[in-house]
Amino acid sequence: MSRPRRSSRGEPHVRLRVALIAVTVLLTVFAARLGQIQGIDAASYVERAGTSGLVTIDLPAQRGSILDRNGQPLAESVSGLMLVADPQTTGPNAEAIAQVLADRLDLDYFDQVERLTPSDETTRFVYLARKIPATQATRVVEVLREKQLAGVDSRPDPLRTYPAGDVGGNLVGFLGDDGNPANGDDGNDPMVGLELAFDGDLAGTDGHETYEVGGGNRIPLGDRSKVDPVDGRDLRLTIDRDVQWYAQKALCTQVERFDATWGAAVVMDTETGELLALADCPTVDPVEPGQTPKDSRGSRALADVFEPGSVQKVLTFAGLLDADEVTPQTRLTVPGELEIYDRTIRDWFEHGVLRLTAAGALAKSSNIGTAMAAEEQSPEEFRGYLEAFGLGTPTSLGLPAESAGSLPALADWNRLTQAQVAFGQGLSVNAVQMAAAVNTIANSGLHVEPSLVEGRRTNGAGLEVGTGTTSVDRVVSAEAASETTRMMELVTGDGGSAPNAGIPGYRVAGKTGTAQQAGSQGYANGYKAVSFGGFAPADDPRFTVYVVVSDPKNGGSGAGTAAPVFRQLMTHVLQRYAVPPTGEREAAYPLWWKPSDR
Amino acid sequence: MSQQQPATSTGTGLRARVPRLAEAAVERARLTVVPPRALGRTQAARTPFAVLVIALLAAGVVGLLMFNTQMQQTSFTATALQREATALTAQKQSLVLELDRLRDPQRVAQAARDLGMVAPSQPAFVRLSDGRVLGRPVPATGADAVQIQPAPVEKPEELKRKTVVVQVDPETGRPLPSRGPARGASTEQGD
Repeated sequence: MSRPRRSSRGEPHVRLRVALIAVTVLLTVFAARLGQIQGIDAASYVERAGTSGLVTIDLPAQRGSILDRNGQPLAESVSGLMLVADPQTTGPNAEAIAQVLADRLDLDYFDQVERLTPSDETTRFVYLARKIPATQATRVVEVLREKQLAGVDSRPDPLRTYPAGDVGGNLVGFLGDDGNPANGDDGNDPMVGLELAFDGDLAGTDGHETYEVGGGNRIPLGDRSKVDPVDGRDLRLTIDRDVQWYAQKALCTQVERFDATWGAAVVMDTETGELLALADCPTVDPVEPGQTPKDSRGSRALADVFEPGSVQKVLTFAGLLDADEVTPQTRLTVPGELEIYDRTIRDWFEHGVLRLTAAGALAKSSNIGTAMAAEEQSPEEFRGYLEAFGLGTPTSLGLPAESAGSLPALADWNRLTQAQVAFGQGLSVNAVQMAAAVNTIANSGLHVEPSLVEGRRTNGAGLEVGTGTTSVDRVVSAEAASETTRMMELVTGDGGSAPNAGIPGYRVAGKTGTAQQAGSQGYANGYKAVSFGGFAPADDPRFTVYVVVSDPKNGGSGAGTAAPVFRQLMTHVLQRYAVPPTGEREAAYPLWWKPSDR
Repeated sequence: MSQQQPATSTGTGLRARVPRLAEAAVERARLTVVPPRALGRTQAARTPFAVLVIALLAAGVVGLLMFNTQMQQTSFTATALQREATALTAQKQSLVLELDRLRDPQRVAQAARDLGMVAPSQPAFVRLSDGRVLGRPVPATGADAVQIQPAPVEKPEELKRKTVVVQVDPETGRPLPSRGPARGASTEQGD
């Protein structure tokens, strides 16, 4: 039975040998082919594999928004697209495509026709439009596809929008092309302001993804690798967008009316030092920064320093009251002129000998009276108070390009320096410093570091800033601050220098300032900076407002130019934050004294 | 082991004594293939097994095919959903932009002004608990109105068009020598 079967298929060892030879031949063929693919033709196969379906896309990180204190956006990023074209393909249909682009995207028809027509035979890439909202760009591409007009495609192009236009534009800054090829040419490099200062936080980190596609779909289980993008962190400000808008409009109205070069307005929360508004004029629209002169594109409230003038008298008297060297009733016999060295100090109004109290010297804004009172204090002590008020030290807002201003060095401090600094000449400050200094009086003698950013954030210079880092230092006693406040209330009352700054029903404390600024040849060809600083309600202050207008023509003055803006802003915030009027005014300090009085 | 030893020795003795009997027994004990019938198996029983194996194989192949197809299908769906998500994100962003435009304080202020509204000149409140009026309410007037529209931007010097007037002698066609401001005078043209 078994023998015939064996003979038909051969002996087992013969069969084994045949199979072995067959397998060996087959494996040799495989090995040869492997050698060819891996060794000889490797590069061309890698290339073919790469082009056949491996796609790498960038996953751009979303740039963080810049929000106001209520979460309203001042700057935000949306996914935009750019439209690009291959002129070699679009050339024949240039008119038809340009028609669609002109209709749908408001682009210039003739400009587009020119771009879509090949200028030479090598150009295969042109930009048609940059930074278009994704929906619009996608629709245009779809319409073109329906009309069978080939050659136009879209690519990601992150779009930064500033929904509130120029509101806070001088603080927020803008993006542009910094000319550094390393940063790309997408026009998304931070140029100034918060966009620049907090770029590290806002920018985030781009990711990328590689995957295989077949027929437009991802191949499941195909090769893929993905690095997720890290979106930028939002930056929340202490600014109230509506207050900021109103501050800018009120300020600019006055700056234009008086044909001034620039102005700044600061609205500050008394207790926390948070800036509700930091308005500059001229303003800058981050979308079109080129419309604004170059030196006004940042925040002049921080970048430009000026001599504060009479608002400084508030600080002088607060220091004198704190050191018990003067009381509000201190009698001053004020001559019409005061000679110190070769200089003659005058008041803004002509007068003979006046019998003013210290309170009267502040209310009437007498330079001579203030200079005389300040002689009670040693230069070291006086300068120490001013330093404690924050003068000469940069604020910790975290914005770039801040000028710290300057106090004269103690070595150069003489009797004339003391007298001039006492009424606000011979030193320089920026608007935020001055607002914070006046706010010290409002805040019972405690100096609060102003802040613009919520929380704790580190800016590009490595400085940690924000509401979480606010420091509070006592400068003068609560009693001295309260006495100074009552003296400042005289300014806005009847007989004061700026009754138009008062708000009926409210107790408002303030001080005007009109200061000669040194030009290239000293005060001779200088100009004026007029200002008003104050707070309300005087017995329980909630807000401090400081307004400065530089170089007003047409007879600008602290009372006539800056005080109305102060009143408008103070009215606005009192109303907006529902601050009802507080108690009645306390008995006013006497402005004058008579020799017969005891 | 201890039990087997004596059994073997007795076995050898037995074989010597009854060789014929042993030969027959050995002959009977030789291994032969057991007929399947004796084991209770039938030739027919092989078919269901083969069918089962083939069915399993077929099911595996078909299952794999369907799984692959299903995955492709899912991949199409994923791509389509991804596309839809992108489109919806873009749409949402467009709507947010639109909302932002409507909320722009500038636009709201203009709309309010067009309705004839003015900013209050003095803050005043009604306390709801007792109906008391806080502050001194006065009718708002336009006196405190702020300028909403920005002033027209002044053109930078470089963009101003400069007109150079050159007077030409009508007979010779040559430029005349300059006479005061007539030549090189630049006048600004509005846009």
